[in-house]
Amino acid sequence: MSRLASASTLLLAGLAACGGVTPEAPGQRPMATGDVQAAAAASYVKPGDLDDYYLFYSGGHSGQVFVAGVPSMRHIATIPVFAPYPGTGYGFDEESKAMLGEYTWGDVHHPALSKTAGNYDGRWLFVNDNGNNRIARIDLRDLKTKQIFGPIPNTMGNHGSSMVTENSEYALVATRFSVPMGSQYEPLENYATKFKGAVSGIRIDSATGTMSLGWQIMTPPFNWDLGATGKGASEDWAFWTSYNSERATGKLEANASQKDRDYVAVVNWRAAEAAAQAGRGSQIGGVTVIDPAQVPGVMFLLPCGKSPHGVDVDPSGEYVICSGKLQPTSTVFSFTKIQDAIARKAYSGQEDGIPVITYEEAMIMEVPVGLGPLHTQFDGKGYAYTSLYVESAIAKWKLPPYAAGVDPKSLVVDKIPVQFNVGHLVTAHGDTRNPKGDWLVAMNKMSKGRHLNVGPSIPESSQLIDIASGEKMKMVYESYTEPEPHFAQLVHRDVLTPIEFYPKGENRNPHAIWQPSDAKVTRNAARRTVEGNVYAIRSYFEPGRIQVMEGDTVILHITNAEQQRDEIHGFGLVAFDKNLVIDPGETKTLKFVARKSGVYPYYCTNFCSALHQEMQGYLEVVPRGRTMALYRGNDGEMSFERRAPETAARTADPHAGHAASPGAAH
Amino acid sequence: MKTLIQRWRTPLLLIAAALMAVAIVLPLWGMTLVSTQYPEGLRMVVYPGRITGDLGEINALNRYIGMTPISADFFVELRLLPIAFGAVAALILVSAFVKRRWAPLLPLLAMTTVAAYGLFSMRGRLYQFGHDLDPTAPISIDPFTPPMMGLNQIAQFASYTYFSWGTLLPLVAGLLIALVLWAGWSRPRVAHPHPALALAA
Repeated sequence: MSRLASASTLLLAGLAACGGVTPEAPGQRPMATGDVQAAAAASYVKPGDLDDYYLFYSGGHSGQVFVAGVPSMRHIATIPVFAPYPGTGYGFDEESKAMLGEYTWGDVHHPALSKTAGNYDGRWLFVNDNGNNRIARIDLRDLKTKQIFGPIPNTMGNHGSSMVTENSEYALVATRFSVPMGSQYEPLENYATKFKGAVSGIRIDSATGTMSLGWQIMTPPFNWDLGATGKGASEDWAFWTSYNSERATGKLEANASQKDRDYVAVVNWRAAEAAAQAGRGSQIGGVTVIDPAQVPGVMFLLPCGKSPHGVDVDPSGEYVICSGKLQPTSTVFSFTKIQDAIARKAYSGQEDGIPVITYEEAMIMEVPVGLGPLHTQFDGKGYAYTSLYVESAIAKWKLPPYAAGVDPKSLVVDKIPVQFNVGHLVTAHGDTRNPKGDWLVAMNKMSKGRHLNVGPSIPESSQLIDIASGEKMKMVYESYTEPEPHFAQLVHRDVLTPIEFYPKGENRNPHAIWQPSDAKVTRNAARRTVEGNVYAIRSYFEPGRIQVMEGDTVILHITNAEQQRDEIHGFGLVAFDKNLVIDPGETKTLKFVARKSGVYPYYCTNFCSALHQEMQGYLEVVPRGRTMALYRGNDGEMSFERRAPETAARTADPHAGHAASPGAAH
Repeated sequence: MKTLIQRWRTPLLLIAAALMAVAIVLPLWGMTLVSTQYPEGLRMVVYPGRITGDLGEINALNRYIGMTPISADFFVELRLLPIAFGAVAALILVSAFVKRRWAPLLPLLAMTTVAAYGLFSMRGRLYQFGHDLDPTAPISIDPFTPPMMGLNQIAQFASYTYFSWGTLLPLVAGLLIALVLWAGWSRPRVAHPHPALALAA
């Protein structure tokens, strides 16, 4: 991408040098006072009011997902997925540590909401990891990462992912980089013949959302870029763009830009599923791999304008739109014509036994949208919106049907400059069968200092554009995000019904405790382990003192016994580099080795109450050779002064408790 | 009027018994606490035999001022109430079929006793909870007695207390019984005019 930016900069610089004057650059669309006031009113959400939409941004190489509200564009929350996040204790407790495994990073590009009948159903959000070849599921009931699946076999750079099918049968993924299958070594000289690409179906359990390996289709060593699932009549089909159909290695910026057309993969995923179930594949790296040359009807190739990046399917499922980033057009294909061409075997060639559909047989129109077209979204009113990276603009153009002999230029009805270099764009419910057609968010790759100067490491800019109130698009607002949003999902708040806290009755953790009197710490001297059930509530931990022997492995199951929204408690263990954050009604496990003797405070890290500062305790790490006062013979259950159970009645005589407390007036 | 009530004696007493029986499952009394950070309010609703609402949260907050945790188990009288309400309902039922003018007096006396005991004990409990504050509690406040009904302010919380259907229905039942009693008691001694008076007329 950056090569294009620098190319255009060079071009401008060259022109300026020739003319001796600096030409005026097409800048921001001017806003009159009235426009500014209208934009302010449209995006202003007054304190206490809710936004209409959730914007689930991919966090790119931060490895996370960001949640913002639209139209205010306010960042509301970060959902940690592929990287530890001390703010919510993610990656510190045993449960999330197990999910992250040995990885500390991921590269989230394309979030996809689960769907029922082609519309968002508010159950799950799937996100890919381009960096370590995984895919994760976020449960929208609590907006937490519940599963990280992978690494996906035979996949290097899980980029063309995640695309969720019409009824969430599969999350479809694709490898960006081709490699030898089965994790084998091959010298790069054998790239064109021994390296393979792959597109895969990750099965989604319809009840639990749990992902498992479905099938994989082996492809020629192209670079698979982005995908889209069909809709309606095309719902059994999926599409991926590719670059480097040249099968080149080395400097791809030139070597992979030689052909005028690369390919769109046209995949019948139902047929792939059936072939895998019928055993028509081979097991490579733990997955059923289908060779499309051996299983006709599974995969076809469709030529498309030079180095296409985005492919998108319109809400009806009939039009497949593909944009060649080195060609200033978006190509509209007809699904009906594609099917017709396949039926008639209207092929122009083949690649490793995969038929190449004749371009002219499937294509309806090349729409001259502008320079560097990438991705397309929809408004459900017959228009498409395509991001133009090089031109730094959004083009609004008319979808078919077109009158015979229509001037392609007339199809582009509006173009709005964005600041700067838009990558993905998202419209409300823009990839479903029923887009809402009111808002569009342009996710720009460069902000180039439109914000307060924060030094050389700067955020990305996102711009909110009104696509509802007229033929012309209207710039409304802009905000900045940490690196780096790629695609996003913009979903109406009514689709989601998250919980406010974890109801006590749903906590299935065997170590959960709900009374301070149930707090317990047990030491096993033979195994040198200490295991405890710790109770946390405003504003204390029970026990407030834990004794272990130097070298002990300590396992603490901490329950936040609150049943009140936002009564979150943290468990920070000073000098141990440990911090759990436990939501109300949740139980999390902290495990560590007490290597060095000493006394270490633990305290609540998430501000909880007026006496939050008092919410603390001490971990005593007793030096070897010393006796642990709180255990009998350094073994068994730890004795400690227990606090009165909070919700149970004290005694029948309320004065009894007072008489026992020092300073009682009675 | 009295004759009309007399004619409807049995249905009226049956209605009173039904109201009493229904009251067993209805809330007696409630309290709602509101503050800036709890705009939606924290609720406590007392039924015969149980307490519902945001007890956990209310107790968590009350702990700071050293108040005894509120729990249905704590109140012996709450456990007795369903039995008492049931007994009164049964007495009314019996009085509906014992066609003596004094018969409804028995459930009315029983009901008055239950009400007097209930209100007396409630006042005592309100006093007790507002006064028996743990002196070692993090926050020291002056002892207080929450009002039985109406608005009050404790620290950042505005409280609103009220009687509910479980007390209102027995009140209506009591009034119905009193009405029947009144109609029966002061009925004219003679149901029909004296023959002599009739003649005189």
